[in-house]
Amino acid sequence: MAARLQSLPVLLGGSIFFLIAGVFVTIFLPSLEPAASTPTAYARPYTEQELRGRAIYIREGCWYCHTQQVRPPEVNLGTVRVKGDIGPVSTPGDYVYQKPVLWGTTRQGPDLTHVASRVDDKGFPYGSDYGWQRTHLQLPYALIPGSVMPGFGYLPDDEMDALIAYLFTLK
Amino acid sequence: MFSTLLSDEPGSASRRFFLWAIVWLIAPVFIGLFMAILLYAPPVQLLEPAWLRPYINFGRIRPLHVNLAIFGWLSMVYVGAIYYLLPRLAGTKLFSERLANLTLVLWNLFVAAMVISLPLGFNTGRKYAEVVWVLKVLFVAILVLLAVNVWGTVRRRAEKNLYVSAWHFVLAATVFIPVYIIGGKVVPLEIVNGQLALDFSGAYVGMNDNIINFFFVHNLFNVWFTTIAVGLAYYLLPKLTGKPLYSHRLAIWGFFTVWTGQHHQLWSPSPYWLQTLTVIFSILAAIPTSAFLFNFYKTMEGRWSLVVSDIRVRWLVVGTIFWGLTCVQGVAQSFPNFSLGIHFTNWVIAHSHLAFVGDYSFWMFALIYLLLPEVAHRPIYSRRLTEWHFWLTLGGLLIFMLALFAAGLIQGQNWMTGGIPFIETVRAMNSFFLARLIGGALMVVGQLVFAYNIYRTVSAREPVPSRAVSAVAAPASE
Repeated sequence: MAARLQSLPVLLGGSIFFLIAGVFVTIFLPSLEPAASTPTAYARPYTEQELRGRAIYIREGCWYCHTQQVRPPEVNLGTVRVKGDIGPVSTPGDYVYQKPVLWGTTRQGPDLTHVASRVDDKGFPYGSDYGWQRTHLQLPYALIPGSVMPGFGYLPDDEMDALIAYLFTLK
Repeated sequence: MFSTLLSDEPGSASRRFFLWAIVWLIAPVFIGLFMAILLYAPPVQLLEPAWLRPYINFGRIRPLHVNLAIFGWLSMVYVGAIYYLLPRLAGTKLFSERLANLTLVLWNLFVAAMVISLPLGFNTGRKYAEVVWVLKVLFVAILVLLAVNVWGTVRRRAEKNLYVSAWHFVLAATVFIPVYIIGGKVVPLEIVNGQLALDFSGAYVGMNDNIINFFFVHNLFNVWFTTIAVGLAYYLLPKLTGKPLYSHRLAIWGFFTVWTGQHHQLWSPSPYWLQTLTVIFSILAAIPTSAFLFNFYKTMEGRWSLVVSDIRVRWLVVGTIFWGLTCVQGVAQSFPNFSLGIHFTNWVIAHSHLAFVGDYSFWMFALIYLLLPEVAHRPIYSRRLTEWHFWLTLGGLLIFMLALFAAGLIQGQNWMTGGIPFIETVRAMNSFFLARLIGGALMVVGQLVFAYNIYRTVSAREPVPSRAVSAVAAPASE
């Protein structure tokens, strides 16, 4: 037994078998889930400008510090400004028009799945306010003391507008 | 020029891989330090010249930090070690030293292209697979050249039974190729409305994109980084202790952990059954992990005092302790309830440094201090500097990690409390970010000491007689 396990073809064959089985079970089977390809109310095709803004969001690395997924246990809990304003839970169908998806792994900043729907504690809809978004993107730590977000004042106007147009799709 | 570049001098490829790896180590540690400064005091960015600001903004250099550290530094030490050790374990010469040197040239081209393209903003938006399609194709070509050399060497081996380290090298060099091709979407085809179309984005559509991305992320660790690192640890252990490996049967790495990708995305919108499956396989990963640690412990018996006297054994042992911790955390983090408390927080940053610095890099330092004198035909310049390197790196890493583990737990609790404005949970990080910056700075100094020591080693005038080279043999086995 030990001798067989130490033979290279057996090991390599076993590894490749596990890899193929893994690809089948953990990649191919999930791709058949109907939920992954059925758009929900949160899914929307992008306009050209929004798509450009999304590319800028990726290029500037926004997705390293902001997630785009709301987990079930935090739905009525997750707080950006007002308790529970993280928004409704994310489902596979929300992402059918996205390539790549930007689910993210770290929250140095808040989740942005529903940023454009947010209002502050005084009722001001800052998330969907062009002026607020622009001022904030240019110099975040000047607007919000203690913020660790870098400024993006170097973006040309058309790029800034595209980026904000993309953020407005995150309802 | 080509005869130098593609030299057939035995050991030349290994030597060059080691030295270039150290170059690519110094770059990401400075980028990391700069990122730590930015997180502690973001307005520092206003001190940068305006023309430079876009290219060194946080989101542009973060992928560079990660990709240089893992594909520059770590992977290049790995390949240097494979080119040097595999022929010795197989009792033959390397299949082709020229091919190995060609791999080095291409590898450096790949890494240099990352240094240019990532700050310019060429980013596919997928973790660990950020580089653009052309570079992914180049990397696959490099991996194929590596596999050719590995298989060519193994096929003409004199030793019938290969030592366990060699299995690890062969498996990793082979299986990583399909993992990279699938994970990075190297085949530029997709089906749109039933039609086959060209697509160079490197991304898949919707939920599947995340599932495949984290299949890739996990298997990059599992198939490439862990498999080779464990193989190298199994070489270092008998070599440095002078004792045979306790058990060869235990030394079979669990390849079934290729199934655990989505444990990086628990509670995400991906299917619940898939998340559950990955949790089960994550728990099963404790089996090969425990086997390795038990094997390590039994082999070390009677040799623990070497930790004091031999710096290489110290790197190896401390790295193994960190490896054990990494694996314990890895299993714990795959429990959904634990994940809820630490996912998305700075805990994860600490965990990844525990694995990549505390474990893999510590083992690679042991390896370089052991092998570099052999490939460079010179003894390490200064023993005292190796001590400084060790203590600065260990001290810095401990400060860095303890700060971020604590920070992550606090962050997670704050978020799950509910009702605390997010910005307050960010402000609470400030003092931890300062501690991380201090720890990080110590690690940077440590790596500079290391690089200086190696520089003095290889630029020393008088090569020692070649008996140091012949002293290298396969580790005592069986």
